Amino acid sequence: ACGGDEGGSADGGEGSSGETYDWRFVTEEVDGQVQYEYAEEFAKRMNEKSDGAVNIDVYEFGGLGSETDQVEQLQNGAVELAVMSPGFTGNMVKEGQIFALHFLFPDSVEKTQEILNDSEALNTDLRERYEEFSISPLSYWTEGAMQWTSSGTALEEPADFQNFKMRTQTSPLILESYRAYDAEPTPMSWSELYTALDRGTVEGQENPIFFIGDASFYEVQDYMTVSNHNNYVAMTTVNTEWYEGLNDEMKTMVDETVQEMQQWVFDEQKAQNEEWLETIRNDEENPTEIVELTEEQRQMFKDKAMPVRDFYRENVSTVDGEILDKLQEEISAATE
Amino acid sequence: MKLFKLIDNFIVKLEEFILSYAVIIIALMVVGKALSRAIFSYTPPFADEVSQIAIVVATFMGISYAARKGRHISMSAFYDLAPFKARKVLSILIPLVTSIVLFLLTYYSALYVVNVYEDGTVTSALQMPKYYLYLFIPIGFFLGGVQFLRNMWINIKDRDAVYLGTDAKDYNDKEKEEIVEETHL
Amino acid sequence: MVATLLTIMVVLLLLNFPMMIPLMVAPLIVMFIYFPNLDPMILMQQFSTGIEPYVLLAVPLFIFAADIMTTGKTSNRLLDFIGSFIGHIRGGYAVTTAAACTLFGAISGSTQATVVAIGKPMRERLLKIGYKDPTAMALIINSSDVALLVPPSIGMIIYGLVSGTSVGDLFIAGIIPGIIVFLSFAIYSIVYAKVANIPLANKATWSERWQLTRKAILPLGFPVIIIGGIYTGLFSPTEAAGMSVLYAFVLEVLIYRSIHIKELPKIARSTGLVTSAVFVLVAGGQAFTWVISFARVPQMISEAVLGADPSAVYVLLMVTIFFFVGCMFVDPIVVILVLTPIFYPAAMDAGIDPVHLGVVITFQAALGSATPPFGVDIFTASAVFNKPYLEVIKGTPPYIVMMVAISILLIFFEELSLLLL
Ligand code: NA
Ligand code: NA
Repeated sequence: ACGGDEGGSADGGEGSSGETYDWRFVTEEVDGQVQYEYAEEFAKRMNEKSDGAVNIDVYEFGGLGSETDQVEQLQNGAVELAVMSPGFTGNMVKEGQIFALHFLFPDSVEKTQEILNDSEALNTDLRERYEEFSISPLSYWTEGAMQWTSSGTALEEPADFQNFKMRTQTSPLILESYRAYDAEPTPMSWSELYTALDRGTVEGQENPIFFIGDASFYEVQDYMTVSNHNNYVAMTTVNTEWYEGLNDEMKTMVDETVQEMQQWVFDEQKAQNEEWLETIRNDEENPTEIVELTEEQRQMFKDKAMPVRDFYRENVSTVDGEILDKLQEEISAATE
Repeated sequence: MKLFKLIDNFIVKLEEFILSYAVIIIALMVVGKALSRAIFSYTPPFADEVSQIAIVVATFMGISYAARKGRHISMSAFYDLAPFKARKVLSILIPLVTSIVLFLLTYYSALYVVNVYEDGTVTSALQMPKYYLYLFIPIGFFLGGVQFLRNMWINIKDRDAVYLGTDAKDYNDKEKEEIVEETHL
Repeated sequence: MVATLLTIMVVLLLLNFPMMIPLMVAPLIVMFIYFPNLDPMILMQQFSTGIEPYVLLAVPLFIFAADIMTTGKTSNRLLDFIGSFIGHIRGGYAVTTAAACTLFGAISGSTQATVVAIGKPMRERLLKIGYKDPTAMALIINSSDVALLVPPSIGMIIYGLVSGTSVGDLFIAGIIPGIIVFLSFAIYSIVYAKVANIPLANKATWSERWQLTRKAILPLGFPVIIIGGIYTGLFSPTEAAGMSVLYAFVLEVLIYRSIHIKELPKIARSTGLVTSAVFVLVAGGQAFTWVISFARVPQMISEAVLGADPSAVYVLLMVTIFFFVGCMFVDPIVVILVLTPIFYPAAMDAGIDPVHLGVVITFQAALGSATPPFGVDIFTASAVFNKPYLEVIKGTPPYIVMMVAISILLIFFEELSLLLL
């Protein structure tokens, strides 16, 4: 991959007359985790379909800088494809913070994935917002529902969050989401989190199960609440100008592969999350009590979380929450 | 001459002010965050971000100050062994090339600032335009470039000595005031 | 490409260019030659990314605290107190330095912070009693390595994430190697003191010791605050760095009144200068890493080296070499992030215990911070002590030899890491 950086004849070209394509696909996760596995599988399928004409180098997280750096690298065409989570673009494409809202999507991850697949609000309206910044999200998919872990208290109803030091990201919307439960949102860098949980500097955090397992957070926590309060959503994105410049054959091949991969990645995240759930449940050296929320408890959280949507409409959205309103309608239509 | 000296004095003061208060701000933010969490159970969400901004500002604004003070880290092994003539040549060549490189970096980092400005990205806690922060990168490179040019000039003017890096002949020190007077741009 | 990169760097380095120039220019040139379609502004982005990690804040904070303490009375009171107990023992100060670095490194988790916080006061004392400067500095920067081996080790946390290995197990597994490193350094220090004939102080009487202890009571609050604060969860390690600034301020400005509050900006300025000199190199290192990663250099080399079905010992040997060489040029934490995924699958196939692999890798990372040419601990020492780079590294070979010997032990005896599990 060393010499030359033609970025794979992005200028289009005539068709399959022996042309080869070298693309780069960057992810926010490392080998073995959902995003990386996705990109590897995507690369493999594109290579097979094109009879070896398309070669995609998959980059895991680490060497190319931070997640927001990777976003910029996609924007200026250093890489052609990227898996990114809207959270890391939320300071540019404000609407993308929509996925941080709690209890917006249904409890069922499967149903959530269906909505992500079909939503016009996301696949058309939100995509247009991203395309203003040369980012085209071709699909949205869940890496699993977000769960809470805690020490000391099990988080079962909003009252358990009273004065609870919850590690969060720093964005105002996320802080607001936890203040809605009367928690103490405590921004803390990822690199200090394991030690902070261990020593009780913070009492809890949120992540999908596979990440809680991979990062060993459950070792230093007493409880894990299967709250499904929102989903860790990722997007398969491409550089807009590069994508528009692809010839029809290549474009179709990319689109098709993106579509096929939706089911594949759903199964992949499900398998990883279930496997880690079992590992965490069965680890006797580091016991973690797993708490399931009842329908009532879930509703209590949801009631508290509803006003945060107004915060989103007023303080985050640049289109007065239009995308959220549309998405809400789509969600209620899908869950009825 | 007077004007240059005035500008130079202003820049030193500015660099010193920025370096001092960047460090003090970091200390205040980190201590304040820890105490506030421990005593009031409240974590100011902007604390980490302000510290990180301060560190970027201090790092890049420190380039020229470190050049002025001859405090940039370098590997002087061979240089120290070289005869005076060779060292003299290098003492002119190195600051020259260094300042060219720093001006090149000024250009690219200015382009980067424009890019970030156009995207309208904000920081996550303060929701402050991110290019404010990045603005200090080209400024720091530029002032650094100017400072190295000045180091070169002093080496051209003064034929009997070498002023460079770890030789740390610091022409800003009080006792060497006369050199500053003589060789000022 | 690697050759181009290294040639440019080495030539510029040897010509005595400020080190930031080779670090920033080499990736730029590689980009111009090999990736002309890329926008060089990516490297500008990497400069700032390199210095943004939150844990790096501990470095200026500990420098600031140490600057306040050495300007005032705190550090001398502490050192006089320690000296009254160990000053008459052969190699006492050197062993104390190694122990203090090990302990402080273990607590703060940052090798650079350790170089500053322990190194700054201890070096002066070592010089005063007759140690040569390179020896003193080498002892300090190498003893600080241990920070990455003993919990809470940031290196292990990162390895744990990348590989999915239990961080708790890794922490435990690092203890024996950490102790071995400390013991080797301690023994070397005693032997060195004997050979170099470092003069001994007279044995202090118990009443002198009591006097000095009383004087050191308040300064002894430092370890209490830092260790106590972190272990009770009151503050994170980075925040403990901040608390040490606060405590130094309270002691020197408010209680001893040895520093006037108006002098603080001046002390902070010197801290800022040192921080900048080190962090521009960290920034440049990140840009260098970006180019290497983008060109997939690590993958290419490792594919060529590993081959099919390698044995466990061979894989561990390669891991050791790769991480050692990688850490020569790039920040160790980044090396763990970039190289671990490349070697992990081969290591698992060869039947290596993932925890043991983690210890071997973290060990190289620990060594890496103190290995030239790119060693953040060396930069930090050079900037903080205001000493030329070469002077700082002159004394390091014996330590590197010891560390390499322990690496080899680790390759052959996995019990060294797995025994306590
Ligand atoms: Na647990
Ligand atoms: Na190194």
